[in-house]
Amino acid sequence: MAAFVKELLTWGASLLFFCGFIKHVLSREMDYEFVTCGSTMKLLNTYSSVRLHSHDVKYGSGSGQQSVTGVDSSDDHNSYWQIRGKTGATCMRGSPVKCGQTIRLMHLSTKRNLHSHHFQSPLSHNLEVSAFGEEGEGDEGDNWVIVCSTKHWSRRDKIRIKNVVTEHYLHVSGDSYGRPIHGQREVSGYPTPSEMNYWIVNEGIFIKPANDPNTGKLMHDHDEL
Amino acid sequence: MASSVSWSVVAVTVILLTEQVLAGRDFYNILGVSKSATTNQIKKAYRKLAKELHPDKNRDDPEAAERFQDLGAAYEVLSDQEKRKVYDRHGEEGLSKGDMGGDPFSSFFGDFGFGFGMKEQEQEVPKGGDVIMDLDVTLEELYSGNFVEVVRYKPVAKPAKGTRKCNCRMEMVTQQLGPGRFQMMQQQVCDECPNVRFVPEEKLLEIEIESGMRDGQEYPFVAEGEPHIDGEPGDLRFKIKQTKHKKFERRGDDLYTNVTISLMDALAGFEMDIKHLDGHKVHIVRDKITWPGARMRKSNEGMPNYENNNVKGSLYITFDIDFPKGTLTEEVRADLKKLLNMESKHTVYNGLQGF
Repeated sequence: MAAFVKELLTWGASLLFFCGFIKHVLSREMDYEFVTCGSTMKLLNTYSSVRLHSHDVKYGSGSGQQSVTGVDSSDDHNSYWQIRGKTGATCMRGSPVKCGQTIRLMHLSTKRNLHSHHFQSPLSHNLEVSAFGEEGEGDEGDNWVIVCSTKHWSRRDKIRIKNVVTEHYLHVSGDSYGRPIHGQREVSGYPTPSEMNYWIVNEGIFIKPANDPNTGKLMHDHDEL
Repeated sequence: MASSVSWSVVAVTVILLTEQVLAGRDFYNILGVSKSATTNQIKKAYRKLAKELHPDKNRDDPEAAERFQDLGAAYEVLSDQEKRKVYDRHGEEGLSKGDMGGDPFSSFFGDFGFGFGMKEQEQEVPKGGDVIMDLDVTLEELYSGNFVEVVRYKPVAKPAKGTRKCNCRMEMVTQQLGPGRFQMMQQQVCDECPNVRFVPEEKLLEIEIESGMRDGQEYPFVAEGEPHIDGEPGDLRFKIKQTKHKKFERRGDDLYTNVTISLMDALAGFEMDIKHLDGHKVHIVRDKITWPGARMRKSNEGMPNYENNNVKGSLYITFDIDFPKGTLTEEVRADLKKLLNMESKHTVYNGLQGF
């Protein structure tokens, strides 16, 4: 009887804590909640609590391109990614990204784009995800669709990121690397949506839409009209 | 009798003066703008005066701090549409106390030359990573200037209970093994520092795109980069990147554009308007014949110079002719021969080598 009560209390306490946590996340005051073109941010994988990361270390197998991993630390400037329009298209600075829109994610410090292709990832044997291109220009494999169910991509919501060429989701399987990037997690492309391919926007620099200096009206992408 | 009169005069003066003070400040006067100024004009005025009136720059003026506070309050009210409406109708009293009181010294606008006030750093303080990102800017914005608001969400160090190890370094330590026998080895030595934890915080920053700014120019925000547990946070820097314009090309302070005209315009002359980056029209009149590749220069119609906005570069207009396609009838050809009254001419030369 006592054990049952104890378990019930523990359950109740964790439920309350969970609700409090959710309430905190949902009610966090944000000056502007949408993710816009030109914004730079860190992407947190909600299942594994690691941030999307890249660095000047190349894969030892597969394509041999620059590797993309998941890291624990929250203060690494190599975990920043900038939102840009899809290959060949422009995206007006400050325009909110729509759910279903195709964009590119450029690694800020190396100026290479988040990329996927039909090479095998080294640990989980899913698809390899790399950082590709020069000065922000690569190829069609740099395009990713933001998968969410609302109208625009909000900083509050978990979203999925799907590669246009491979149709695989940006995913963290849980496998970690050894030297020289000990403890970093593998980031790969996974064929189906799952709890392990949810991401949420975290730290960053979010550009708000500005007004046209001549008309005073909000500057936005033309296809919104 | 006289003393009671003088006392009442003093009393009235005091009451009138107090009323003046309580009636509130003239924010438009403080900023030096007209009552119909746009928000952009107000922001520009504030920034210019903030640089001039900063107390660090006016150390021998006892009223500098108060004037700077007035400036900050004026900006806070007039740059906010709602607060400005209330102020225009009811004056400063109309605004509740809670509306004002923002820190005028905060780095809202970034560090546009506020070098004074920074201490000389004797030892090397570890610094967090710098975040440098491109900021797409249109040619219109570089011509007229603009303000871009940005939300910075980043981890901020907050005090926590207890202590932690900090400033860890490798030191050579000497150990005595026996009489006259010593051993030197490397050991990690740490200090004890108050514990910190990182809490993410949101903050609004504003970038000013100034008229005439050049591609690649950086706009810094000190300490808005990545934090460092043992030291200072790094900086956040925006790099101006001009997007391609459909009509104008910028080279330095000059602008280049192309205009296609009809064969009729080329031969008979024409008049036209070119809409400039801020909407004003550049009027062009051409009486003479215009040949393909002819170039016209309009001085003071280029980009404003960054150092001195009153000086502008030139606008260079290159004309090309839209020749009619197809074939002309025999009748039209005959008429043209008569009209143009020219000899047939066929000059052969090497065009690729400048002959």
